[in-house]
Amino acid sequence: MAPKSTPRPLPGQHQLSREFIAQHQRARIINALALEVSEKGYRKVTVADIVKRAGIARNTFYENFGSKEDSFLAAQQFAMSAALNRVVEAAGEIDDWSYRVKAGLAAFLRFVAEEPALARTCMVEALAAAPTSVRYYEESLQAFISLFRLGRDVSPHGQELPETLEEALIGGVFWILYQRLLDAEADGIEELLPELVEFALMPYLGAEGARAVATAG
Amino acid sequence: MDSPEYPPELARLPPGRHGLPREFVSRNQRERLIAGLAEAVAENGYANTTIAHITRHAAVSRRTFYEHFASKDECFVAAYDTVMAELRRRVDEAFNEEEEWPRAVRAGIAAMLEFLTAEPHLARLSMVEALVAGPVVVERYDAAIQDLVPYFAAGRKGRPAEVLAGLSPSTEEALVGGMVSLISRRVFAERTAELESLLPDLVEFALTPYLGSAEAAKVARQG
Repeated sequence: MAPKSTPRPLPGQHQLSREFIAQHQRARIINALALEVSEKGYRKVTVADIVKRAGIARNTFYENFGSKEDSFLAAQQFAMSAALNRVVEAAGEIDDWSYRVKAGLAAFLRFVAEEPALARTCMVEALAAAPTSVRYYEESLQAFISLFRLGRDVSPHGQELPETLEEALIGGVFWILYQRLLDAEADGIEELLPELVEFALMPYLGAEGARAVATAG
Repeated sequence: MDSPEYPPELARLPPGRHGLPREFVSRNQRERLIAGLAEAVAENGYANTTIAHITRHAAVSRRTFYEHFASKDECFVAAYDTVMAELRRRVDEAFNEEEEWPRAVRAGIAAMLEFLTAEPHLARLSMVEALVAGPVVVERYDAAIQDLVPYFAAGRKGRPAEVLAGLSPSTEEALVGGMVSLISRRVFAERTAELESLLPDLVEFALTPYLGSAEAAKVARQG
């Protein structure tokens, strides 16, 4: 796992810049933390566990982060932006809202399947970690909610839909993924796509409309 | 304030009190420890609650604590189980009082919201503090949510084929997860006063896959 964007040394520089190394170290720490937290739970993980897993010195940890909590927050933010980037990238080009949701959901499921430790960080452990983590979780949820809300414009009865619908739909999808992550069943996750798409689109398009999108090739 | 339908550990508070009543008289030390934990957690949060806090609120000795529980975590599990048993009892009672399934669902959700609103500290204990109280409790929390599934699965009975075709193995899980998510976020944010206003939305959300939006909305908005 590598961070999505790593600064390159400037032209003419033959040595790795300090910034590059620092970013790389952060990535190693985040990766190690995600793995440790997946295995032990946030509460039980220590900085010693993290540095051992990352293969770095304790000093190096503290050069990058002030505390376990800090590093967790960074991991959570990294994981959530990685997920969101994938969703936005997949959904971005598509005109039809319902197919945009399908593509976005597919991308999110792929993220969970490919990076279960990271997914756990931002979905499972976030609520057990610290108030700042919970706050960040909330903000991330808002991003997903906004993506969904656009469905109200395409739905024949968009005006009458319950105000909290998007929140509930996302909560439901998250819960299902959370269960699979807990049971370490991340592998089969992408197979959930058709039923999750149907579940998510049904309130906007009705059963038939939702199914048509869910089962389309 | 009298509330005979509560079990001893959860006898109702006078307004303005944290957690569970100190003046509740019980020969049962375990009950007092559970009540003491709930009060201590309401005051300090789980992480900062010590056994000394618990025993002080319970008015028992430290030795007595260890006669009943090996650790703070274990005491919390007992408190959690007590709160959940009460919540389950109320939801079940309300659900079973109604003949028709859609109304039963509405009644069950209403009972849950009522309890959580009336007891914000117990709501916090069971939905917020539970997540930081160790893996045993987290497991119970997850199981408690999954336990709600049968109330909704009952809605499949007698539905026409095309409705059933629209449901999947994970439908009830998703519904339950979504509803709890709405509730827990408000408990987290200390906005339990808003919970009862969620009732129509929650009912419509839960019933739509089985009844369709129009019918679900009708049941949701019924007084």
